[in-house]
Amino acid sequence: MDFTLSPEHQALRRMIREVVQNEVAPLAAEIDRHHIVPIETMRKIGATGLLGVCFPQKYGGMGAGEMGYCILMEEVNKVCTSTGTNVGAHIGIGAMAIYLDGNEEQKRKYLTPLARGEKFAAFGLTESGAGSDAAAIRTRAVREGDSWILDGGKVFITNGGYADTITILAVTDPTLGARGGITAFIAETDWKGFKVAREEDKMGIRGTSTAELVFEELRVPHENVLGKVGEGFIIFMKSLDMGRLTLGAACIGGSEMAVDSAVRWAKTRQQYGEELAHKQSVQWKIANMATELEALRSLVYRTAWLVDTGQPFSQLAAMCKLYGSEVASRAIDMALQIHGGLGFTRDFPLERGFRDARIGEIYEGTSEVQKIVIANNIFREHGVRVRP
Amino acid sequence: MRIIVILGRVLDPAGITINQRAGRIFVNREEYVIQPADRCALEVALRIKDATAAEVVVLPRGPLPDDDILRQALAIGADRAVYFTRERFKADEAVMVRLLEAAIDRLGGADLVLTGATTLDSGQGQLGPRMAAALDWPQILDAWQAEVVDGAVQAVRQDGTGYVTVEAALPAVVTVVPGAVKPRYPDGVRLVNIYKNVGEIAAALERWEVTDLVGVDMLVPLVERRGQDFPPPRERGVRLSGAPDEVAVAAAQALQKRMNG
Repeated sequence: MDFTLSPEHQALRRMIREVVQNEVAPLAAEIDRHHIVPIETMRKIGATGLLGVCFPQKYGGMGAGEMGYCILMEEVNKVCTSTGTNVGAHIGIGAMAIYLDGNEEQKRKYLTPLARGEKFAAFGLTESGAGSDAAAIRTRAVREGDSWILDGGKVFITNGGYADTITILAVTDPTLGARGGITAFIAETDWKGFKVAREEDKMGIRGTSTAELVFEELRVPHENVLGKVGEGFIIFMKSLDMGRLTLGAACIGGSEMAVDSAVRWAKTRQQYGEELAHKQSVQWKIANMATELEALRSLVYRTAWLVDTGQPFSQLAAMCKLYGSEVASRAIDMALQIHGGLGFTRDFPLERGFRDARIGEIYEGTSEVQKIVIANNIFREHGVRVRP
Repeated sequence: MRIIVILGRVLDPAGITINQRAGRIFVNREEYVIQPADRCALEVALRIKDATAAEVVVLPRGPLPDDDILRQALAIGADRAVYFTRERFKADEAVMVRLLEAAIDRLGGADLVLTGATTLDSGQGQLGPRMAAALDWPQILDAWQAEVVDGAVQAVRQDGTGYVTVEAALPAVVTVVPGAVKPRYPDGVRLVNIYKNVGEIAAALERWEVTDLVGVDMLVPLVERRGQDFPPPRERGVRLSGAPDEVAVAAAQALQKRMNG
């Protein structure tokens, strides 16, 4: 058993830190305050090759594996959850679905520019009537010769407002439901019939685009069916499995930010004639935060190792997201408490971190959905198929 | 055209905490980066390469415990790098200059040597001038930028309050000040491949035995390092008060006194 990072991953972390410090950190507060999507930053990150960190080099990626992707998410989210979310939606679900189930031609045509950061991706799953119950989608796709005609819409689509390429899940056979009746498509957002209806105004991750999309007779060529007709639901769930792991990695970043700022503050702030670091009430908070952070790190890195070595990881990925989002929220809450009134002001990044952390327990599968996934896996091993 | 970039490493300033009161430097995470001025020199070299298609070869400015920063330089875009190996290898600038001169000779010569004007940790700036003296080449020190035009290197230097462009015939030595240019990031694919030792780039890192380059008698350092200490604490300033013209006079007198005393 060896827990040391490989030399390429250590070097990658150093490179990512440099890019993040120079390109992401200076804008983090501003994009949150003014609700700006940092597309220029995304382009700069893309130019370094980092937006293809986990994809093979033959598709324009870096070839640093899932572990490399986890390091990217950790380091970006330590500084800016908004930029982290843009990156995560692009790589982790948008491009990931094409990487996992696209054919050679689709990977060449769509994955390569995404991995190189020349184009951006989104993942079109959620609808107004289909959130946690993702199989309840109603966007319809009807075959017409060599094409499919899509009608319907999606909500809460991260990157939806500016993505070039989007994967869309639609019903192709209403009689069959999730198994056999739902198909995944790759669409380009400049095609006729694709419309961005509105952008959400959110409590946190305000530097992201969360869009409502409308499809009106959106014509998608048959060659853009992702995987096989009728297998779309499974394809999308596979992408979400991967996404969960890296959201856990994102939460390592958020927690690290909290621990770092709490320690820095406890070292300098004096009350009752001594630094907060000497107060047991503060020491215990920091000890708890650091312990949970280390537990999360171990869980996430081990799950990344399972992915990179081709072993089953679905249950652990759900645990990464469930536990990670809770750890990050708790850590930021504690750090804010240690900072007292100043932590509540916008002069300190904790206020932003606090608002940003809340979405961790909601998007890409709520904590409740993660528990369903975990329980399903546990009971399946004992021969019980749990009803949703 | 062949450009040699000589670079060294320094503890990543973002990974250390300096505690003046305890008189200690705490290393939070031991990570080394290319000396900032050397990184700028590499950037200047790569820009010349982009403009004129040169070969950029990286050599170390001192003994290194591992080849990590050479790999970093290759990931950033250098074409070749040479790591000097020797058991218990110790060297000061005098020794390094002999070694680097021999290495450049073995490479088949060079047209331009670029290096940082100063090091971040020990503030050394001798290497550039020493190289120029040993090679008997012209030198331009403390450059902000440099480019190759018609067989000569043109560099911008600070001169008093302005900037001047100076020119030296090639081959020449140019030292670059830290912060002169914004260095480019490593390329993702090159980074992964050089650290994994795969692909074409793996062959770009060579290991040369020091004693193959120079005789053992040439490897005796002149400088002995005995330790390090913090600089003495700075004297406290004086607070002046009064009308602006009185303060101006008092400030001028105080400064004059300090300069004379």
